[in-house]
Amino acid sequence: MSSCRKKHGVDGKALKRALASAIGQFSQHVERINAMNVFPVPDGDTGINMYHTLQRAYSEISDIDSSDLPEVSRRFAYGALMGARGNSGTILSQLLKGFAEELQTAEALDTPAFALACKRAAQFAYEAVTSPVEGTILTVAREATETLELHADDDLALSEALRILVRAAQESLRRTPELLPILKESGVVDSGALGLVSFLEGLASTDGKFDSPEKAESPAAAGPGVALDSSSEASYGYDVQFLMLGKDLNIAQIRQDLEQAGWSLLVVGDDSTVKVHIHVDNPALPINYAVQSGATLDDIVIENMELQSRRRPRQEISAPPPEHQRPESYGVIAVAPGEGLRAVFEDLGCEAVIPGGQGRNPSVEDFLVSIKSVNASRAIILPNNRNIIMTARQAAETADEIRVDVLPTTSVVAGISALIALRSFEDSGEDGGDLDSAIDEMRAAGQRVSSIEITRATRDSRLGGLAIRCGDFLATGDGQILVAGATIEASLRDALAKVLKAEHELLTLYYGDGIQEREAGELIERLSFFYSELEFDLVFGGQDLYPYLIGLE
Amino acid sequence: MTSKRIQVAADSVCDLPDEIVRNLDIRIIPTYVNIGGQSIPDDGVGLDRQAFYRQLPSMTAQPTTAAPSPGEAEAFYRNMLNDGAENIVSIHVPERLSGVLNTMRLGARAVDAERVRLVDSLQLTFGIGLQVWAAAELAVEGASLNDILEAIERVRQHTEVYAIIDTMQYLQRSGRVNSLVAGIGTLLKIKPIVRVADGDITALARSRTWSRAEAKLKALTQDQAPLDRLAVLHIDNRLGAERFLDSIREIAPQETHIIEVCPTLGAHIGPGSIGVATLNQDWRN
Repeated sequence: MSSCRKKHGVDGKALKRALASAIGQFSQHVERINAMNVFPVPDGDTGINMYHTLQRAYSEISDIDSSDLPEVSRRFAYGALMGARGNSGTILSQLLKGFAEELQTAEALDTPAFALACKRAAQFAYEAVTSPVEGTILTVAREATETLELHADDDLALSEALRILVRAAQESLRRTPELLPILKESGVVDSGALGLVSFLEGLASTDGKFDSPEKAESPAAAGPGVALDSSSEASYGYDVQFLMLGKDLNIAQIRQDLEQAGWSLLVVGDDSTVKVHIHVDNPALPINYAVQSGATLDDIVIENMELQSRRRPRQEISAPPPEHQRPESYGVIAVAPGEGLRAVFEDLGCEAVIPGGQGRNPSVEDFLVSIKSVNASRAIILPNNRNIIMTARQAAETADEIRVDVLPTTSVVAGISALIALRSFEDSGEDGGDLDSAIDEMRAAGQRVSSIEITRATRDSRLGGLAIRCGDFLATGDGQILVAGATIEASLRDALAKVLKAEHELLTLYYGDGIQEREAGELIERLSFFYSELEFDLVFGGQDLYPYLIGLE
Repeated sequence: MTSKRIQVAADSVCDLPDEIVRNLDIRIIPTYVNIGGQSIPDDGVGLDRQAFYRQLPSMTAQPTTAAPSPGEAEAFYRNMLNDGAENIVSIHVPERLSGVLNTMRLGARAVDAERVRLVDSLQLTFGIGLQVWAAAELAVEGASLNDILEAIERVRQHTEVYAIIDTMQYLQRSGRVNSLVAGIGTLLKIKPIVRVADGDITALARSRTWSRAEAKLKALTQDQAPLDRLAVLHIDNRLGAERFLDSIREIAPQETHIIEVCPTLGAHIGPGSIGVATLNQDWRN
């Protein structure tokens, strides 16, 4: 049959090695990808989200030694699905899922099969997005696979096919600013697209090994990241994570110094806080290094990966739904940043609150854990952030034992309004069983409220005709930057001038972590002088990054 | 009126307008509002409602409310019997929310328990008033005790009392309806639309803005048409009550009143709220 193909193709072992190497290399680009964030607000997490997604994906295959290509690709895709964080991570997981599905009948990966799998991957990713935006990771995936399709035939070596794919992806990446004006305005390419290109580059650079598994049997020590796979089956080593706190920390230097200590190194942060994540045989090495550097250490986590891997139960993509009968009921799961906002959601009867928000996107797995904890026959998720909706939808599709509805709330205040609408529906006692009507009302309620978020610009930039200086207070609403001002009050009042409508009656001010109640109260007092027709509600939110979140309804 | 054998009585929480009370010879026993060590009868005379509600938000200690004393209840009934009443139908604020019925029971026992029929209205404000009003009309017409008690039951079944609670802070402090308070939550300003029924207050909906709460109240009120009687209730919000009445003018019957809720109840609910008490025409069938 396909014995001929098998000889020239790539099997599961080779795929595993290639992926390990690609992920290792990806870790070197995390910061560059993070830095490509379009908005001058601290949400540069595309790189770290994609890296988390890939790492989680790899954890599913790290302890298997199978040449079975369908199995390796399926497990890897499953892991990505479980670990997907953020929009880019979620789209990446869809690419991998599509890729894996196409390979489920393949014995080995040759060029035609690879091209088909890539095509399927891009299709999957497009289907996963409700309204696909061009100039993003989606465009790059599609254009690159289209180019590959034109060239792919039996005679083309797989390594050459991969190079064609990478080149096409790189070209497509350069064009993203032409398709998405906001990228051009900011002088960047799309960060998710850059992430995909980095991953593909990593795969392509594994080159010879990818083509001939025999040659690659020796753990190639050369090149960073290859080491991810160099952990022999006998030893998984330790996963070490910690924060370094200090002044003038040099990320590049830290990375260089730690590179020899282990593998899967990740160093991210700024000159005062650096997060280090590394896999090592000897956990004392990186810790000693950090202590001797003079930095303060915090949040130290050391995990024995071998023990972990033994403990972790094997999960399959299509686990059968549990047999036990769940009660006919439903629960609400909300994502909220900050203790105050968590309390607000709990006060309104939310069954599970997942900490998260801008810059801190929960994973599919986080959602699945919460869905399980709700222990109901249906669940409603309030993601409360644009960048979390896709992950929530992914979780909803994955949780096949219960029905999960994702209400695409794009702000915390919209989520709160939606939840109040649900409680109101329950109060009315009308048609208690008709949750679908309740969800309609929740959706309408979430859309009725306007949200303004105040945050601080982390760098100089120009956006939407606004000159923004580092340190300015930005007011954003509905995903748009409304105004920038030198003080919180100035930018909030300018934003209100833009957003406030005659029908608005209530302004709720959720004050964040680091804001004193008295300070917030004084702000309300001054606002009530200018907006005497409004009612005000002051609530502790405790969110980070945003001194104030404002709801108008 | 000398031929009247049955006397109708109530406590001041029934919020009946003075002219109805006078015309139908209804006897009202006042409850008390305690402010700063003083116990003031809530009879519409000793306690100026407007002044009370204006001061309520700035009062450092929440006013409390009290039932009449057993001695007052006894005197209340004795007077009616002395005035020639054969039987007394005495209609009151729900036992679940207040100690009034208990005191009235003690007073009745002290005179002649057989001749005093105590009725738990299971309602509040004009929701009690509607029962008292209908009972007093029948009493004046010389109806039998059973007919009167049956009429009270029919009125109760066709009455709805709805209100928008402008702020939960007073109900929270009062501690009388903990189930309602717990259900609404305490961290956000929420305006529940409540229903009074079966001697309890329950939430029917909750809103963060007045206009949506009012739209809900309007829809609920319209659902009760055709109306025999209607009162638009308010606590220090006459303007709001008038505006609301305008919005439901097409279903407002001849017998429509705007009533400011008594401080005994209002102290627990707080200023700003509006509501309705409706009586559907079917109660007469």
